[in-house]
Amino acid sequence: MSTSSAADVVDDQVHTGQLLSLRGLGKTFADSTQALSNITMDIGWKEFVSLVGPSGCGKSTILRIAAGLETPTSGECVVQTTKVGFVFQDATLLPWRNVFRNIELLIELDDVEPGERKRRVHEIMQLVDLVDSARKYPRQLSGGMKMRTSLARSLVSNPDLFLFDEPFSALDEFTRERLNDELLALFAQRKFAALFVTHSIAEAVYMSSRVVVMSPRPGTIARVITVPYSYPRRHDIRYTPQFAEICGQVSRALRQDSQ
Amino acid sequence: MRSLKSDRISGIVGPLVVFVIFIAGWYAVAYGLDNNFSPASNKPLIIPPPHRLFEDFNGINRDKIFTATLISIKTSMVGLLISIFLGLLLGILMAQARWLERSLWPYLIAMQVTPIIALVPLLIKIVGANFAARVIVTVIISLFPIVSNTLFGLRSVDRNLHDLFTLHHVGRIRRLIKLQLPAASPAIFTGFRISAGLAVIGAIVGDFFFSKGNPGLGKLITTFFINNQSGPMFITSISAALLGLSLFIIFGVIYKVAVGRWYEEAAKF
Repeated sequence: MSTSSAADVVDDQVHTGQLLSLRGLGKTFADSTQALSNITMDIGWKEFVSLVGPSGCGKSTILRIAAGLETPTSGECVVQTTKVGFVFQDATLLPWRNVFRNIELLIELDDVEPGERKRRVHEIMQLVDLVDSARKYPRQLSGGMKMRTSLARSLVSNPDLFLFDEPFSALDEFTRERLNDELLALFAQRKFAALFVTHSIAEAVYMSSRVVVMSPRPGTIARVITVPYSYPRRHDIRYTPQFAEICGQVSRALRQDSQ
Repeated sequence: MRSLKSDRISGIVGPLVVFVIFIAGWYAVAYGLDNNFSPASNKPLIIPPPHRLFEDFNGINRDKIFTATLISIKTSMVGLLISIFLGLLLGILMAQARWLERSLWPYLIAMQVTPIIALVPLLIKIVGANFAARVIVTVIISLFPIVSNTLFGLRSVDRNLHDLFTLHHVGRIRRLIKLQLPAASPAIFTGFRISAGLAVIGAIVGDFFFSKGNPGLGKLITTFFINNQSGPMFITSISAALLGLSLFIIFGVIYKVAVGRWYEEAAKF
């Protein structure tokens, strides 16, 4: 079993400015619930950042603000691209469309012409190994297959920024680890930037170059932990003492801040 | 496999047992009722026992029932088609604007709960006691399930799916066509199925109050009842029940064909 050492502590990303900039972001909802307070963070082009924190700390609200689905009550959110992909906790597939048509949906809404749509959907289906399921309806798919279809649907629009809202939380551990690996492979190949919300510390450490730990409501950034592994990552880094140590750091940060 | 087989058996045996109990109950009532049979001719006056159902079912009565069935089919289908058109239109409009929903909803509820008899004088004054009045009664009775199911279906679309469409700057009309209507279609088709049964009830109830022109099944039931022709009266009632059942099944099949491929509940129908 090979392990990654401190020598792997390399950041191979070349950033040309920030893709997503949040400056002093705050959000208070109409019912006076203060969800976020003074959130300042950046995500560079082709960077994978995870957000962890207790339930209700505003992680999903940050994603929704970044996507333009919510407006902040204070501060600003600047996104340097219009190509934003969003993957929800549920696969949110259209049950009346088969896998092919579901993957096609977003580029159809973007008015990409049919020939080009077909070409891109076929390419993505091959990439995520869905060719054999092209004609199946969502009700005929397993949870993992549904989530893979959801990923493919977002990937097909070639997003620069991918927002993930606990996408694998409803899956069993085995499927989750497999999809983590598949997503990392896609990340290595496609080089999008990702903001990944998760409740799993191991998942956050395995996937990202930085883990942003948030405090309980109103959510603030409690700590940012850098993950010293380069991409592509081998799945067996999960079993190294260094990986366990980083997970421990994230866990301690979460505990300290929730006390 | 075993449970599938037992499901099939219970699906046949259950209705069969109920049918036998129903026939036994029918005989019990027919022979248990005082004065059910004429002392002079032994003719059933109120309820004919099942084996004497077809005694007066001669050519004239057969033609009358056939013609009345056609008229009731016409009334219920015209009324149902108007309800489908109006119901979809109202449901879609109400789903687009809360103020419109709040404005129209009390009147739809009022229309649903007002007894038809209360509207009879009004309808006679406005349209007369004719086919149009019967169609209006059918519409009043069958409209509500289509409006409420359409509205419920359109409003129940997953918020995340709406977000996905918002992310891609999709406008109202396109969102309605590509997202809301397909998502609402199981609820809409369920509304059609419920209203199909109600449309037959509406057509027959309308016959009782508005009997100008050729009579439908409702009017014919009254005529046979007045003439003490209990056999033809029962056959006419059974025709009405079969008409309602047929429409219910036809719309059930349409429901299954339209959404059965992807909607599990419809596939089971």
